[in-house]
Amino acid sequence: MQVKPSGTLDEYLAPVTIEEAARALADGRASVLAGGTDLMLQAANGRTPYRGRLVNIRRIAELRGAAITGGRVRIGALTTVTDILNHAELAKAVPVLRQTADKFASNQIRNMATIGGNICNASPAGDMIIPLLALEAEVELASWDGAKIRTREVALEKFFTGPGRTVMERGELLTAVSFAVPEAGHRVRFAKSGPRPALEISTVSAAFAATCKDGVTTNVRIVLGAVAPTPIRARSAEALMEGAECSGDLAARAAKAAAGEISPIDDVRASAWYRTHLTEVFVRRLIEDVCHG
Amino acid sequence: MADKVQLLTSIEKKTLIGKRVPKPDSRDKAIGRTRYINDMKLPGMLHGKILHAGVPHARIKRIDVSKARDLPGVHAVLTADDIPEFIFGMARDNRPLKGGKVRCVRDEIAAVAAESEAICDAALALIEVEFEALPAVFDPAEAAKDDAPRIHEGKDDNFNLKYHFGSGDVKAAEATSDVVIDETFNVHYVTHVCMGTSCAIADFDPDGKLTIYSQTQYPYNFKMDLAPALGMHAGDIRVIQPPIGGAFGSKLDVYPYEPVCVLLARATQRPVKLMFSREEEFINAPTRQPVRIHLRAGAKKDGTLTFRDIKCLLNNGAYTSWGPTVPYVMMRTFSSLFRVPDVNIDCQSVYTNNPYAGSFRGYGNVQATYALAIHTDIMAEALGMSFVDLALKNAQVSGEVTPQGAVLNECALAECLTLAADKTDFRAKEKEYAALRDAPGRFKRGIGMAASIHNAGGAKIHKSDGCGTILKLDDYARCTVITGASEIGQGIDAVLSQIISEELGIPMRDITIVNNDSAIAPWDVGVHASRTTFIAGNGAQRAARKARVQILAAASRQSNVPPEALDLREGWVVQEDGGVPVIKIDRILRQMHFSDEPELVMVSDYYEPPSEPEGKDHVGDMSAAYSHAVHVAEVEVDTETGEVKVLKITSAQDVGRIINELGLEAQIEGGIIMGLGYAISEELIIENGQVRNPNFRDYKLITSPEVPELDLHFIESHSSTGPMGAKGIAELPTIVIAPAVANAVHNAIGIRFHNPPMTPEKVARAIWEKNSSRAAAE
Amino acid sequence: MSATVEINFTLNGRKRQLTIDAGLSALNLLRDKLDMTGTKYACGEGECGACTILVDGLSVNSCLMYAADFDGRDIVTIEGLRSDKGFDPMQDAFVEHGAIQCGFCMPGMIMQARHLADTNKDLTYDGLKRGLEGNVCRCTGYKKVFDAVADVIGIAK
Repeated sequence: MQVKPSGTLDEYLAPVTIEEAARALADGRASVLAGGTDLMLQAANGRTPYRGRLVNIRRIAELRGAAITGGRVRIGALTTVTDILNHAELAKAVPVLRQTADKFASNQIRNMATIGGNICNASPAGDMIIPLLALEAEVELASWDGAKIRTREVALEKFFTGPGRTVMERGELLTAVSFAVPEAGHRVRFAKSGPRPALEISTVSAAFAATCKDGVTTNVRIVLGAVAPTPIRARSAEALMEGAECSGDLAARAAKAAAGEISPIDDVRASAWYRTHLTEVFVRRLIEDVCHG
Repeated sequence: MADKVQLLTSIEKKTLIGKRVPKPDSRDKAIGRTRYINDMKLPGMLHGKILHAGVPHARIKRIDVSKARDLPGVHAVLTADDIPEFIFGMARDNRPLKGGKVRCVRDEIAAVAAESEAICDAALALIEVEFEALPAVFDPAEAAKDDAPRIHEGKDDNFNLKYHFGSGDVKAAEATSDVVIDETFNVHYVTHVCMGTSCAIADFDPDGKLTIYSQTQYPYNFKMDLAPALGMHAGDIRVIQPPIGGAFGSKLDVYPYEPVCVLLARATQRPVKLMFSREEEFINAPTRQPVRIHLRAGAKKDGTLTFRDIKCLLNNGAYTSWGPTVPYVMMRTFSSLFRVPDVNIDCQSVYTNNPYAGSFRGYGNVQATYALAIHTDIMAEALGMSFVDLALKNAQVSGEVTPQGAVLNECALAECLTLAADKTDFRAKEKEYAALRDAPGRFKRGIGMAASIHNAGGAKIHKSDGCGTILKLDDYARCTVITGASEIGQGIDAVLSQIISEELGIPMRDITIVNNDSAIAPWDVGVHASRTTFIAGNGAQRAARKARVQILAAASRQSNVPPEALDLREGWVVQEDGGVPVIKIDRILRQMHFSDEPELVMVSDYYEPPSEPEGKDHVGDMSAAYSHAVHVAEVEVDTETGEVKVLKITSAQDVGRIINELGLEAQIEGGIIMGLGYAISEELIIENGQVRNPNFRDYKLITSPEVPELDLHFIESHSSTGPMGAKGIAELPTIVIAPAVANAVHNAIGIRFHNPPMTPEKVARAIWEKNSSRAAAE
Repeated sequence: MSATVEINFTLNGRKRQLTIDAGLSALNLLRDKLDMTGTKYACGEGECGACTILVDGLSVNSCLMYAADFDGRDIVTIEGLRSDKGFDPMQDAFVEHGAIQCGFCMPGMIMQARHLADTNKDLTYDGLKRGLEGNVCRCTGYKKVFDAVADVIGIAK
């Protein structure tokens, strides 16, 4: 009715294995359908025109589900946000993922949207991306080289090149995201702007990860969303905190440093001033929560 | 039958009045069976779409629709060149399709009818338009200047509607004042966001008579207002009102898409349906009127109000719908909320290149009360009083007449204030929170109160404020009520059924309300101004009483019991005393019908309320009843993020008398949440004439997790003119809430917000600026 | 040329086989092709919930779902939401609690409420408020909706 598909859509495939999918994508003229929550809109408004072939990967069972093996968490690309919310083992090992999933859009969208889709959409405000960067996650990419499946792994931090842009090549399929289970005492927390508890495109989102032991902060990672063309690590704020004594005004100083590392824009959702202000507030609060909470 | 009569020795009077009665149409809605206008298809129907200008002020240099016309599936493409210069609108300043130049982004410059919406979209994309940009003006103060760009050619300036009301001598009264408070408020654009987007279906018969399926909430005047836009006679227009997805005042006028839809149907001789997408809805549907309000008012030391001097500047936008006429109601609030003898009000609307406003629940009173109730709080603070005590000091009593001539019969303002304060421990909390304002801590609590007055017995803004009713009973005692009153979700179907049931002693399920076809139902001025329960309810009650007299007369002849000793209960004619059954109602109806002197029970009534239109001086008792509401808001402000969390709303409202408690609560709850959006989250952001947030992501309605605790209290003042004593209720809850929240936010953090909504960024920024200036001072 | 796809699925308990355009949304399939207008269009962007349906028992925004993805799935719309005894208790509760005014958003709201009742064993009052966050209503202020759902699920405020 209101949907106006752009680009061409002249073939539809629903592969059931990764190999079938990789072959379907190999010529570079295919659009991947996972949850569809972004694609349906972006195809309609012309932001992501169809490339000819629509490859629905939802039937590939091996792409769905999360598992913890050998100290590593591996989450298949088709795992939905609801799956993550309901995954007891995952919630125990990495509580921040459930915390983030709970703030993701609405129940209906969580039921459809996949973690792979959220990553590939590459929005600087993509909620699930933020804690995954704090967890120093890697993504697995698969492609068909003409004879067999070729895979490569890319650090998530190196994955994004701009709003909606990634290092993924046209024939590639994101199959999973993985990261090491945080060591004991390493805590990760997420925050995003309100006032709604969810169903918000973040004005600012943030994740903080650190180990606070014997009053000293180590393994610090600060990730910020919606304040630059891609989600970013606040490296100088991290450096300021690494090995420092977590007391006094450290949280405030680190928060100020983080706010100095962003390149926010003025738009209809918030001014650059408010994004900077919120960045500082969120980072300080997260540090206080992790180090003193 | 005879046996059964003997078993029933006494039938007690049972009443549905004041009970919790579900809406009769809600079952169909719950199972997905209701066909809304947006769901309708007519045989052979085409779809229509409009090409909007998208630029705020420009000359149309060239428009070429030839490629669109050639697209397969396209039946018609219209521009201003294809139709006569039909002029319509409240100020006769609008046309269905604009030629020559465009004055706001909404301007309709071409329209397509095609086999599908997708073909319409493709055709619109093929229309070539060349604009030559003209200097544009968006701020009414700028537009008022001599050298401002002219919006409407042929006019000497951009001024449009002007209102003045004066009473007493404000200068003299100011001289007697101990405190004078002078504040300026800027209230913003919001829009109705009806869940069902704007939609019309037009269908001509071979004789050139039009049937329009419409979302209108004023079907009879709609014909009158639509006719000039089509060059038609209003009598040749039949309006059918299918179920709609909300209105809230947005469908109280003719908007260009409606005549455009009809013109497409005329051009194609096929039924045409034109429906907005959500984005089109945000950009092109009416808004609430934004106003700059300058409010200067005084009081004596003891709190006695002395005068009010008010100037309002209204951003008219490019054309004139109801928006710029809201001073009619704003002035009422300024002159009638609390006792204030000396009042001067001047309001002026100025054309700009912005989109334009319509009527919206509260119709000016949302804006006026926002300013006045905050101003009253500032005044109270200056006098060292609580809002509630200042309000009580100046609260009118029953029978008082306001400067504009409103007669406040059955006035319950003081009761509303007292109840709201008592239920919330208002005075103590107000002091306690204010004392904690500068204490350390991220979260601050606050409590705030606001009050307002609104018409509750119709509003005679037209020559007539009446409603017609036709009522008939068939041989089975099934009752059909044909009423002019429209149903837009507010629940008049339940209220009228309850009143008829009460008067005729028949169950609600035996009553059918017919109110969706102008060819069938009698005249009514429309569902607006909190008038329908009052006006249509009175009409239905009067019609039912006529039917009742007829039935009782027949039963009396048959039973030899005098009619005044008979009553109708539970499907029976009974003796009033003791409830002794006489005859079943359906039986007496058949006997009446099939007797030697046959008669049917079919009656009609036209009810015109005892109110008067305003004179040119804006004096007149324009409503048959008035009502007050008081809200108390309790909030928690996150002083770092600026988020305002509303914890609890306590409402005390004079409802006259409860007819349907379920429907009453539903209207008040819905009104509060709508008003809460106005207070803290909703804003249609218009920059340089462009709507920047035409979607639900960025136009933030209140969602379910944000709903605060609601504590509702009803005061029954028993209107002497309302049906069963009821007053109209639906607008006040939306009117009062925002200033209550603003006063609560001030109580929490000591900052006033004269420019809603109180979004997190706005609040955070204000706190930051306050802290910065304090730090600079130290 | 637009690609078509054949889909086999269950709709409100009945098996269906259709050939559709690959880019068609589930909402448009239901409303325009199947004339099942109980499922509403109100935003088309997944932001309002008026188009909520159940897919394999989970609530989704049909405006964001590809109809092609109906293949092999069990679909329930408001027209098919029934219990053994007649209407779904959720539908009855919405009526009795006065949760329906204009009613346009209510098919979606009721479908989401049904999903919540089915998938959350320990739902709290606050949890149900959160659970309805993707469903916008402009009439009711939501309170009567909460009352209705709480009544069906059996939770007190």
